Amino acid sequence: MALPKMFFLGVHSRPSMAYAAGDADLVIAQQGTPTQLLQAAIAPLGGMGRFVKKGQRVVIKANIAWARTPDQACTNNPELLSSLIKMCYQAGAKRVAIWDHTCDNYQFCFSRSGLKKVTQEAGADIFSGHGRNVYKQVEVPKGKKLKTVEIIQDVLDTDVFINFPIPKQHFATELTLGLKNFIGIVWDMEQLHKIDLHQCIADLSTIRRPDLVIVDAIRILTTNGPKGPGKTEDIGEVLASTDIVAVDAYAAAYFKHPKTGKPFKPAEIRFVKNAYDLGLGEINLSKVRMKKVKAA
Amino acid sequence: MTGKIQVVRRTLQAASFFFLLYLILQAAFPLEVKIPVDLYLRLDPFIGMVTLLTQGEVIVRMLPAFAVLLLVIIFGNFFCGWFCPMGATIDFFDRILFREKKRTQPFNDQPIRRFRYGVFVFSLASGLMGLQVLYLLDPISLITRTLVIAFYPPGVYIYNHLLPEIQRFLPKNPFILPTPKLPVFKVNLLIFLFFSAILALGVVRKRFWCRYLCPLGTLFSLTSRLRIVRRAVSEDCIQCGKCSKECSIGAIPAEAPQQYRQQDCISCFQCRECPPKAVSFGFALPRWKTAEGVSLSRRYVVGSLAFGFLSALAIKTNPLQTESGLKNSRLIRPPGALPEKKFVSACTGCGECLKVCPNNALQSTFLEAGLAGLYTPRLVPRIGYCEEFCNFCGRVCPTAALQVLSIDEKRLIQMGVAHIDKTRCLAYDQDKICLVCNEQCSYHAIVGDEKKRPIVKEEKCTGCGICENKCPVDGESAIIVHTSGVQKKIKPEAETKA
Repeated sequence: MALPKMFFLGVHSRPSMAYAAGDADLVIAQQGTPTQLLQAAIAPLGGMGRFVKKGQRVVIKANIAWARTPDQACTNNPELLSSLIKMCYQAGAKRVAIWDHTCDNYQFCFSRSGLKKVTQEAGADIFSGHGRNVYKQVEVPKGKKLKTVEIIQDVLDTDVFINFPIPKQHFATELTLGLKNFIGIVWDMEQLHKIDLHQCIADLSTIRRPDLVIVDAIRILTTNGPKGPGKTEDIGEVLASTDIVAVDAYAAAYFKHPKTGKPFKPAEIRFVKNAYDLGLGEINLSKVRMKKVKAA
Repeated sequence: MTGKIQVVRRTLQAASFFFLLYLILQAAFPLEVKIPVDLYLRLDPFIGMVTLLTQGEVIVRMLPAFAVLLLVIIFGNFFCGWFCPMGATIDFFDRILFREKKRTQPFNDQPIRRFRYGVFVFSLASGLMGLQVLYLLDPISLITRTLVIAFYPPGVYIYNHLLPEIQRFLPKNPFILPTPKLPVFKVNLLIFLFFSAILALGVVRKRFWCRYLCPLGTLFSLTSRLRIVRRAVSEDCIQCGKCSKECSIGAIPAEAPQQYRQQDCISCFQCRECPPKAVSFGFALPRWKTAEGVSLSRRYVVGSLAFGFLSALAIKTNPLQTESGLKNSRLIRPPGALPEKKFVSACTGCGECLKVCPNNALQSTFLEAGLAGLYTPRLVPRIGYCEEFCNFCGRVCPTAALQVLSIDEKRLIQMGVAHIDKTRCLAYDQDKICLVCNEQCSYHAIVGDEKKRPIVKEEKCTGCGICENKCPVDGESAIIVHTSGVQKKIKPEAETKA
């Protein structure tokens, strides 16, 4: 896996643990309940203990952006989020926080998506970035277009950062995947559209790379994204990886290109290509150690 | 020495005020309280009466108000002195701010006492003409509006600044809580000054507002003359004049303290603190006779009536008024609002909907809806948009100026339609990939063309304004909601299924 070492030089960056042991760098778990899928996906990477050490703080960036119900596949699968939180606690996490800067009013997002309930039942905190006091202005030294941005401070300070996207069709950027999920840690999201959305998405990921990416591809939204409601497709997969570009490259193929009708090639999603160009991960899946596992 | 009854009364007054405050604070997501948050307004017979006049029908939600009126007619006015949150506030500030010595010398208030009857007749006359300017003086609507518009935003401001300090003392929680968004209301200063002026009038007389202005108090005065809880003075009276001086409403004549104006009495029982203990209250046969009643000459009443009619006419023919007559395309009413004319005459401007709106989208008008539409709610999308799965504003409206809608009904109400300004839109003007409006639209009313530029499908647009709100263009949005002034129902879209 061609990852440059230590490319975080900013004040808030920490060395990623992505170089530690594991049988694979991208695991695709199929067939099973959400909990089984998650466990099966993380085990080949070296288990949750590889990422979460005892007494650490964990921040999960979920996708709770819209006031939609779980079956509409616009927000994360509640059972999967619940299992993810529980696995973090089993690995010894001190505290788990779920963050998202929601687009609709956060109270409606939290209650309609059912994610507030499962989060609290699992003993974690759920926060929405509606107050500017939780953000911190940071420089983006590696950014090509994005020079400075306000990021949720917890994401910068936490010991472990897990990115937890759900793949969806997206009219402006074709798809929303793991990299696009980072838009939800920014205060002034709409401003990024003014600069250059694709490049900004890639630039954002240089600030704090996630230690672990879990892609919730149990059910995905294939039309009317990202807000939906639209057509959904049951894929029944959960992806786990340490390489955010690689998971996005894999997940892009869930969707068909509107013009050609063939599955998307990773390079056709501009922000994935831009992120690869920035050296954030591997776009060529043949160079990634992939592993498919059956969960049940 | 303060008697036990006074302690009980003041406690009840404070409780009533804080209960109102509690209800106002409860007017927020998820709005699941058992007690209606607009309870006080629904108990207000003045609002009940004027809406009866302006709407020409009984509003079911306002029925409890007539029960209150009935109780007052029979037992006398216990509302103002014991339960009215406005009266409680005035009593409180009168006590702490103005000592009796500081007050100006007593004067013969007989001429100005009839002023509030003039105000009352005026409001009835203009009410008959379908105009409700005098809701603005209704004490319950006034205090609710003041608390929501003038005091709620500063409250949130203080909370937001204290929150980080408080969290410093909570080491258990390593996460910083996000502060709630600061609500903003453009007319807050005006409302704050009006309220302060009312309190400041206490320097002239105790409860100046209640004695000389309050229309609700006037209604009670007019109806409670035949009350059965009456004051009696025994022969022990030594004519010391204490009761006359203490009476917070000035209902006891100084020269004849054995008498009183039972219709004005607010039953505060302060006159029971009588040195020779000559004063008592008890059930007695109703009597029409009263001490020096207000001399309402025919000339005065007819004059007030005529003034009311003429004012209503003047306001109706004012050019500002035509703005609300559907010409102001930016005057977007909340979902479920009655047709404009009816809406303006039903809305009391209490501000409950402003408080309950989760996105601070509803703003109080100043002159945008004409003089008659002062302090009525309008949707200002650049400040906040109408949340898709929210129907709170209709659910808290005491006079049903905003109808109660189910979520499904509300999602089909077209308040206005979004229009794109192509000279400012990033996609049209600068060829950028933006489409924030398309991504945010809850109703699939904005689609993109082959160049990824937004197009509004008018038949699906509800005018919720989320596009206008989120548009990244600086200053005014490049996509703006305009209204025709009439709320339409749009055709439901067949649910797309997997």
